Amino acid sequence: MNVVLLRIAARNLMRQRKRTMLLAGAIAFGIMIVTIINGFAGSFVKNISDNFSYLMGGHVFVSGSEYTPSGKRISIIRDDSVIMQALEDSGQKWVSLQKTSQTIATLIFEGKSMQQTLTGIDLSHSGMIKERLALVDGNWDNISWPNAIIISQSIAKKLNVLPGDVLVAQLQTITGQNNVGEFRVAAITIDSSFVGSMMTYVQLEYLNSLIGLGKNEYMSLGIMLERLEKSGPFANALYTSMKGMGLNLFDRSTKKEDGSMTPFQAMLLEQKTEQWTGTKYRLYTIDDVLAQAQQIVVALDTGSTVVLIVLFAIVMIGISNTFRMAMYERIREIGTMRAIGVQRNEIRSMFLYEALLLALAGAIAGIILALIAMGLLTFISFDPLSPVFLILKRGHFSFYVPPLRAIGNILLIAVLTLVAVYAPANAAAKLPPAEALRTVK
Amino acid sequence: MHSNVFLKTRGLKKESYFIIILAMLFFVGLNPLLAQSKPDPKALIKQVDDLSDFSGKDFSAVFTIVTQKPGEKDSVTQARIFRRDLKKQFVILILLPEVNKGQGYLREDDNVWFYDPTSRKFSHSSMKENLQNTKAKNSDFTLSTFAEDYTVTKMTDGMVGKFPVWILDLKAKTNEVAYDRVVLYIRKDRTMLLKREDYSVNGRLMRTTAYPKYVELEGRLLPSQILIVDEVNKGEKSQITMAEQSVSPLPDRVFTKAFLEQVSR
Repeated sequence: MNVVLLRIAARNLMRQRKRTMLLAGAIAFGIMIVTIINGFAGSFVKNISDNFSYLMGGHVFVSGSEYTPSGKRISIIRDDSVIMQALEDSGQKWVSLQKTSQTIATLIFEGKSMQQTLTGIDLSHSGMIKERLALVDGNWDNISWPNAIIISQSIAKKLNVLPGDVLVAQLQTITGQNNVGEFRVAAITIDSSFVGSMMTYVQLEYLNSLIGLGKNEYMSLGIMLERLEKSGPFANALYTSMKGMGLNLFDRSTKKEDGSMTPFQAMLLEQKTEQWTGTKYRLYTIDDVLAQAQQIVVALDTGSTVVLIVLFAIVMIGISNTFRMAMYERIREIGTMRAIGVQRNEIRSMFLYEALLLALAGAIAGIILALIAMGLLTFISFDPLSPVFLILKRGHFSFYVPPLRAIGNILLIAVLTLVAVYAPANAAAKLPPAEALRTVK
Repeated sequence: MHSNVFLKTRGLKKESYFIIILAMLFFVGLNPLLAQSKPDPKALIKQVDDLSDFSGKDFSAVFTIVTQKPGEKDSVTQARIFRRDLKKQFVILILLPEVNKGQGYLREDDNVWFYDPTSRKFSHSSMKENLQNTKAKNSDFTLSTFAEDYTVTKMTDGMVGKFPVWILDLKAKTNEVAYDRVVLYIRKDRTMLLKREDYSVNGRLMRTTAYPKYVELEGRLLPSQILIVDEVNKGEKSQITMAEQSVSPLPDRVFTKAFLEQVSR
C-alpha cells in the first residue's frame, strides 16, 4: 500500500468536506437501516424461543402417542422409567424436569364462561411456578389444594373470581368423553406478559383424573436446560440414548425432499399418517417447533440485503457521478502529477483509495448510528398483553447483530463503492498528461 | 292362660304362612303377564334408534335453533341438513346468522369437516362438537345409535308430564362415546323419546333434552321441536325447530366438499 497516495486521498476527501459528508452520510444511512434490520432478526428467534420455553416449560420435550383399540390416537406417557433411565444414560445435564398434561376447558363462574388451556403440573413441587409467577392475590400455601387452579389477572377479571372461589370446568377426556370438574382458585398472577396471561395452571393429578389419565401418567415431559443453545446437542444425545434402550421413536431428521416441510412438520405428518402399536415417542426442541420462525429470520436477512443493494445502487450512481466531477475538477492537478512522474495505476489507486476511505468512514458511522438507534429503541416499552410481546425481550425490543454479518455489510459497501468509482478512476488514469495540463476550466 | 295364648299364636302363624304362600302363588302366576307388559329394554332403545334411521332414503330438513344465554341477546342459527344414513354421510349448511352463512359441515364415514368460506379451507371437526354457538351437538342431527353405543343398566317406570314412561339408564360400552351415562324417558303407549339426560364421566348431569313435539314422516315419528338445557352453564338453552323435512332423493354431489365450496360462493 502506497502511504503517500493514501494521505493524498484523505486530503482530497477533506478538501471537499461538504460533499464528502453528504456521500458518507448516504452510505451511513443505508448501513444504519440494514444493521437495525439485521439486529432485530438476530434476536427475533432467541426472543421467541425464550418466550415459548416459558410457555411450554422446557427447551427439550418428549411426548408419547398411542392408539386406542378403536383406532383413536391419544397423547400419553404411561411409564416414564425408561425415559428417565435414557436421560441418565445420555450423560447430559439439565436444570429441571416438568411432567405436563394439557386440555382445553370451558371455565364457568356465575354465568360467565371462557375457553382456556389448562396445564396440569405438580404445583406443590414445581420450582418454576414460584420462580416465574408473581402473585397479585391468594398465596402459595393454597397451591397444595388438590383442585387448585392458578389463573392470571386478566382471566380472573373476565370471570370475576377471587381466591377461594370454585370454578366449574367443562372438558373432554383424552378419548373425547364429556366431563366436568371443579377447580378452586388458589392464586391470581400478575399479567407479566402476553404469554403469562394465557397460562392457567392446575394440579396434574386432578386434571389427569378428569381427562382419563392415571395418577402417574402424563402427556409431555419438558426438560429445562441451562441455556437454549444446548438444546440441539442435548436432544441428539437423548434421542440416541432412547433409541439404544429400544424405545419406538419418530425420526427427527425426516424432511420432505422438496423442502416444503421442516423436519418437525414432517414428524407431525408422520404421526398423523402412520400406524403403530404401543407407545411411540416424539422428541423435539423449541428450535424444532420454531423452525418456521427461523425462516422468517432468513426472509428478514434476505430482505435487508436487498434493501442494502437497492439503497447502494442509488448511492453508487451518486458516488460515481461525484467522482467523475472530481476528476474534471482536478484535471490539471492530475496532469501535473503525471508530468512529475506519477504512474497511471497510481492515479487510479489514488481515486480508489479515496472511495475506500469514503466507504469505510460512512459504514463505520452507519454502524455507530445503528447502535445508538437500537439503544434508544430498547427504551420503548410495549403492553405486556400485546401479542407483539412474543417477539420482544421482557416487553422491549432487543437487538443482536452477528459480527460476521456487520463485517460482511462493510465489505459489501467497500466493494460496491470501488466498483462505482472504478470507471472515473480509470478515466483519470488514462488522461494524457499534456492534454490534462492544457485543459482550462 | 298361657297355653291359650300359645295356641292362638300358633293359629295366627299358620294363617300368616297361608297368606304368604297364597301371595307368592299369585305373583308367580302374574309374572308372565308382568313380563309381557315390560318391554325388552334393548329392543326399546333399538326402536328409538330406528325412528331416526332413514337408511335407504335421503333425508333433508331445515333446523332453526334459538339459543339463550344469560346477559346476551338471543341468537338464531338456521341450518339446512342433508343426510344419507346408509353411507353415514351428512351435510350441514349454515343459513343464519348472515355472518356465518355458507359455513358447513360434511361427514364422510367417521370424519367430520368444517368449511369456512372466508378462508376457503376445511378443518377437522367432530360429531361431539357443538353446532356453531348453540347447545346442540353435530351428533344431535344424525341418526341415534343408543343400541350400539350403550347397555341398559336399569329400567324403571315413571311419568313425564301426563305421560307414563319407561326410564332407561344407559351406560356407555366404550370410553369414546360423548356421554358416559344417558337416561332416556320413553313413552309407554307409543315409542317416543320424551326426555333425555346426559351425564359426565364423573356422574354430573350436563344436559337435559326435551322432545315436546313430533311429526310423522314416512310412518316414522320425528321430533319437530327439541329443547336442550345446559345444566352446567346454568341459564343457557337452545330450542330447535324442524321444518321442510323431506325424504326425497338427493344428488350424490351434495355429500362432497365441492358442494360446500360451490353453495357458499
